[in-house]
Amino acid sequence: MSQSLRPYLQCVRSSLTAALAISNFASQTSERHNVPEIEAASSPELLLNPLTVSRNENEKVLIEPSVNSVRVSIRIKQADEIEHILVHKFTRFLTMRAESFFILRRKPVKGYDISFLITNFHTEAMLKHKLVDFILQFMEEVDKEISEMKLFLNARARFVAESFLTPFD
Amino acid sequence: MSTAQNYRTINIDTLDPDSPQNFPLPTLLPSTLPPPSTSSAAANTATQVRQLLRSGDATGALRVVLDTAPLGGDEGAKQVHLATVVDVLQGIRQGEMGRVLEGVLVGEGGGERGDCLMKYLYKGMASTGPGSGSQSPRKGISPQSTGFSQVQGRNLGEGGGGQQMSVLLNWHEKLVELAGTGSIVRVMTDRRTV
Amino acid sequence: MATAEVHHLFHNPIADHSFSSDKKTLAVARDNNVELYQKAGSKFSLTDELKGHEKTVTSVDIAPNSGRIVTCSQDRNAYVWEQTPEGWKPTLVLLRINRAATFVRWSPSEQKFAVGSGARVIAVCYFEEENDWWISKHLKKPIRSTITTLAWHPNSVLLAAGSTDSHARVFSSFIKGIDARPEPSAWGERLPFNTICGEFLNDSAGWIHGACFSPSGDALAFTGHDSSVTVVYPSAPEQPPRAMLNISTRLLPFNSLIWSGENEIIAAGHDCEPYRLRGDESGWQLEGSIESKAGPGADSIREESALNMFRQMDLKGQSQADTQLKTVHQNTISTIRVYEDANGVVNKLSTSGVDGRVVIWTI
Repeated sequence: MSQSLRPYLQCVRSSLTAALAISNFASQTSERHNVPEIEAASSPELLLNPLTVSRNENEKVLIEPSVNSVRVSIRIKQADEIEHILVHKFTRFLTMRAESFFILRRKPVKGYDISFLITNFHTEAMLKHKLVDFILQFMEEVDKEISEMKLFLNARARFVAESFLTPFD
Repeated sequence: MSTAQNYRTINIDTLDPDSPQNFPLPTLLPSTLPPPSTSSAAANTATQVRQLLRSGDATGALRVVLDTAPLGGDEGAKQVHLATVVDVLQGIRQGEMGRVLEGVLVGEGGGERGDCLMKYLYKGMASTGPGSGSQSPRKGISPQSTGFSQVQGRNLGEGGGGQQMSVLLNWHEKLVELAGTGSIVRVMTDRRTV
Repeated sequence: MATAEVHHLFHNPIADHSFSSDKKTLAVARDNNVELYQKAGSKFSLTDELKGHEKTVTSVDIAPNSGRIVTCSQDRNAYVWEQTPEGWKPTLVLLRINRAATFVRWSPSEQKFAVGSGARVIAVCYFEEENDWWISKHLKKPIRSTITTLAWHPNSVLLAAGSTDSHARVFSSFIKGIDARPEPSAWGERLPFNTICGEFLNDSAGWIHGACFSPSGDALAFTGHDSSVTVVYPSAPEQPPRAMLNISTRLLPFNSLIWSGENEIIAAGHDCEPYRLRGDESGWQLEGSIESKAGPGADSIREESALNMFRQMDLKGQSQADTQLKTVHQNTISTIRVYEDANGVVNKLSTSGVDGRVVIWTI
């Protein structure tokens, strides 16, 4: 499994590094405003071609670059319904606390489970390569977390079933 | 009546030809753009390229397929050509990748070919692979399944075009080594899409 | 290789910096203000603040001879600051633009300056004696997007502009009564205001970040977001250029560039270090970084356990973990300027970046 995980993460890393070349840019549609162009999408020339990196149909990263912001959306691996529920609960837990994660977007882009919005203010305040590290670490941890939760859930379900069914033996 | 009710929701910026929203994107295309082509032309190249590949000239096949990219073509031509490129990439063994790639990147227009290959790698990853018959797991699982069976779940998760993606990811890694992040940046900026 | 003199001023981005002609004063744009630093010994210390802008200051320029400072900001305004016994006094410039002002530079004659803006115009500003104020004339057509960079030709009439519509253009900014009639050149013979002397687009497009005329003014170099540098040699007025050379690099995009002689360009940007390019009309190549890799992080690569190393490679796809970059600048370089030159050959240059550092390089 790690066999294909490494090129996947490597690809996300280089794509993100390339996309995060962003700079301060004031809006050209509304005066005295400075908004993330990828969200405003008010001028087509300020948005670049989006990049998709995918490992298989269920694990994808969408990178949408613009002049002053980049939106990164991740589809987390969901092998079955339990994982689907776990991923949903997990990402909900995170997005509800989005303000303490700075770069987390409150709502994921359609078709993806979680989205990040990185603006030039983030790359100015934080080290760019560390931001990239953070996203990669997140991608890797979230898989682990979901598998762990599933194992735990299965163990618990087995235990509950056993103790529930014992009296009827 | 309905238009009268919705006038508040009309985005008047789109009606103004001078507004930034109506930026003329064709002005970003260079004058050197190749003429429009159709899917039948792309299919012709495909046969030619497959012949080269069968005769064992992998470098030549990749060179030709990248040089004939239908940058000005319609959607049909682009889809056919993408399938050809993916076929060529899949037809080259992993051990030969480095050698073939070096052969493709040297000479006149080598940098262009590298950028073009990078575009195809991303496009290949963006499109769901043609060979993958499996559906997304959310729909694929019958309502009776509780999802507790781990073995079955794992198999599902690994499927879905994983084979093709892993080939593309390996090519991507090799190409970044040789052509640098600059070529990824050019995939984003270039309006001549493949 | 170049030696670097690093001045770490603060932990905010520096949008732009400018040295006075005697190199004693340094002006840097920090958030909504411009800070003036005076050289004391080997260090720069903060002496003055130019306050007046209400939004991020995007550009600052000190006129070498008159010592006037011009600043512009995202609040749509530009000020000309003059030193008086009571301190620095601002004069508002009538820009007549309704979007952010993005870039400002004095013309070599110091009679005019040009302000780029998000309103898809360039305001060419000059002083009107009768009314005692700075007024502007607009270069409008055919700009389709925000102006990101400007560069003056040595004759103070031609102006190169880069824009987010991916085009680099050369305009005439001739203003009657202010400018002397320019000598005819390869760019044009008769040059009324708003003549377009050239319009250039790269094959792979990309927003233009930086532009610069060669010391003689007979060539133009510009750099775009497609990680490339393009050098244009004009042939004759109204004719396609004699040569347009595009050097696409394997690096991240450059933000700014200068010529350090007729056959050498130095560019810097998102890779956090300046790079040198050499060539002439027949071809240009990227020579490599001017930085000698003995930066803070170079010799501090810690020995790691083999397990840890492979885990990093496997899980994160990286070969080593480090917080500090090996380059002198720790973040994107936004401006590169000539610091000292002799007969068109630059021997010192200065860079400033998002990491709050101003670095003076001796080549």
